[in-house]
Amino acid sequence: MIDLLSLLSIAMILTSLIVFGLRNYKAAILTYGLQTALLVSIFLLLSTTHLAEQLCTWAFIALFTKVLFIPFILLRLVKKLGVVSEDEPVGGFFVSPIIAISFSLAIAMSVYPIYMKFSLIHESIPLIASITIFMIGIFGFILRNSVIKQILAYCMFENGIHLSLALMAYNSPEIAELGILTDAIFAVIIMSVLAQRFHHYFGSLDVSKATELKG
Amino acid sequence: MDMQQLFTLLLAVPVLASLIIWFAPTQFKLLSTLHVIASMASSALALSAVMKVMNGKIFFAFHDMLFIDALGGVFLSLIGVTGLLVNLYSVKYMQWEVEKGEITTKDAKLFFALSHLFVFTMTFSVLANNIVLMWVAIEATTLSSVFMVALHKGKKSTESGWKYIVICSIGLAFALYATVLLYSAGFAVIKDSHSMMLWSTLMAHAKEINPDILKLIFVFALIGFGTKAGLAPTHTWLPDVHSEGPAPASAMLSGILLKCAILGLIRYYAIVGNSMVGFEYVQTVMLVSGLLTIFIAALFLMRQHDVKRMFAYHSIAHMGVIAFGLGVGGFFGLFAALFHALAHSVTKALAFCVTGNMVQIYGTRDMTKMGGLIKIAPITAILFGISICSLVGVPGFAIFVSEFWMVQESFNTALYIPVILFIIGLIIIFIADFSHFFLATFGESQSKILSREVAWSANLPLIGLAALIIIFGVFSVEGWVTLLNSAVKIIVAA
Repeated sequence: MIDLLSLLSIAMILTSLIVFGLRNYKAAILTYGLQTALLVSIFLLLSTTHLAEQLCTWAFIALFTKVLFIPFILLRLVKKLGVVSEDEPVGGFFVSPIIAISFSLAIAMSVYPIYMKFSLIHESIPLIASITIFMIGIFGFILRNSVIKQILAYCMFENGIHLSLALMAYNSPEIAELGILTDAIFAVIIMSVLAQRFHHYFGSLDVSKATELKG
Repeated sequence: MDMQQLFTLLLAVPVLASLIIWFAPTQFKLLSTLHVIASMASSALALSAVMKVMNGKIFFAFHDMLFIDALGGVFLSLIGVTGLLVNLYSVKYMQWEVEKGEITTKDAKLFFALSHLFVFTMTFSVLANNIVLMWVAIEATTLSSVFMVALHKGKKSTESGWKYIVICSIGLAFALYATVLLYSAGFAVIKDSHSMMLWSTLMAHAKEINPDILKLIFVFALIGFGTKAGLAPTHTWLPDVHSEGPAPASAMLSGILLKCAILGLIRYYAIVGNSMVGFEYVQTVMLVSGLLTIFIAALFLMRQHDVKRMFAYHSIAHMGVIAFGLGVGGFFGLFAALFHALAHSVTKALAFCVTGNMVQIYGTRDMTKMGGLIKIAPITAILFGISICSLVGVPGFAIFVSEFWMVQESFNTALYIPVILFIIGLIIIFIADFSHFFLATFGESQSKILSREVAWSANLPLIGLAALIIIFGVFSVEGWVTLLNSAVKIIVAA
């Protein structure tokens, strides 16, 4: 019988695939918010099942910063730019998610035993999920051309790292988690400002149109 | 002043300077005065901290989360010396930009404010003993410098800013995984969550950490910090960013920032090298990475006519040289790699600032449209010549010293094939550079000259950089040698 922790982890993988694959920006951002809510639930669950009390604080901070604040910034960006959905990505809408999930899962399956060996919380499915989500984020940068989808890819791989951190190092000093989170929030804010400039100068959000610098 | 106060001031002064400049009235004279005063204060603090660790002493602060050792001191001295001279030059450069209408005074204010924030993040990365905080600081260097790079409005500037934040963030994500894995592997040895996040503790217990995981950690660290340092194949952001940013921003990025990322990598190099994995593994990885980087940079360098882009590829090549030095290893290899960090820092800061003068004179960065620089602006031409001579490794200039030691140590340790490849790479760079140098410096100007020799206030900091290149190329500076000796001993845990 599959446990709740594994179910939540699998749901996180599925949501990352949906964020990756959805053309509609608003839907993708809301799904990212849902994914982060799942992450918060995992933190809360682990804090009780594995007596990792620190994760309660992590959950609280993540709720405000990543479930509410980051989606708010991105939704505002989409509204300001008046964009609805992304252009055709590398490999097409159908093929790119398949490439992303298959390679991400393959990489996760091959490296998770190493992570497992040193993890504070010995749960294989959440560990696989954390690496898979991280890799889907990386593939998001490679395969999707939209600036907003690339910001979401950044947010996703940050979620993957956050989950890894919770499983492998939840007892680390608070300042470490706060520092990483602060960087992530500022990165999203800066990327959003650059996205507006990008749209202004290129008349599009497609990074493949930015070919001024070559050689 | 005790060390706790010094640590506080080292971090607080640039942050306060940034805030004061940001909230000051938008008057260029006032802003530039504040900028100069703050730069001098930051530099004095950095250099006073370096003096204290020169003989190998280590000081800790804030529950050991911050520290300064001789290794950090080497890189802090770059912030203190190169940072100050570039910041002094930036005043005149920004004045030109405002006068030409390329930017507004408000943009110059943003640049000055961000440059101090940038100094803060780089200083923080050097002082961090906590490995997560070191990562946070290195990531923050990207965030604080994005709008220094993308200061100008327009397509190219925006594209370079986007590439910078995206590629560096992806790369550094791998470094974060390296950090998390190192902490977990360390915690498995000693169950103390606070101390196993400290580099000093991890170094002390390096031999007890699982060697297999350390190998993976080093590869992740190389991808992560290597991306930020401009090592191939993840160097692709660097030519765009260094060529599109304002000259002082390029000088800071190339002269200091890349080295801070290398320091991050050296911290991992030291842990893995001193573990049961041994130095052979890290040296082999660094040799491959260094040679690959040098060759990729050399091949692209030949085709460049944009003077800033040419220097950007040089930055990549010289990061490859530092990586090669780490690959050669041993006392002299490491000594040479650290020496190269300073030599390249002052040289490249000079090179990029000179491009600022050249753009002011010709109104273009294209060297095929230049010519006759020696007649139009002899001081700028000489400074350009000094930077080129140092970059290609002419004897008597700083970079020659470290490259010579690397070659010598490679022969001593029978690394014949790598050193031959290294020399071939350097010869390609040598030929490409001198052909570019002659194109811009001699003959007749190929475009309308907008200005003659630039003001002394712009050239003085550059003359300071040029003097350092020659001093370090000709003399053995005792204090610097002592500092490097102490730093190398830390890496090899002697």
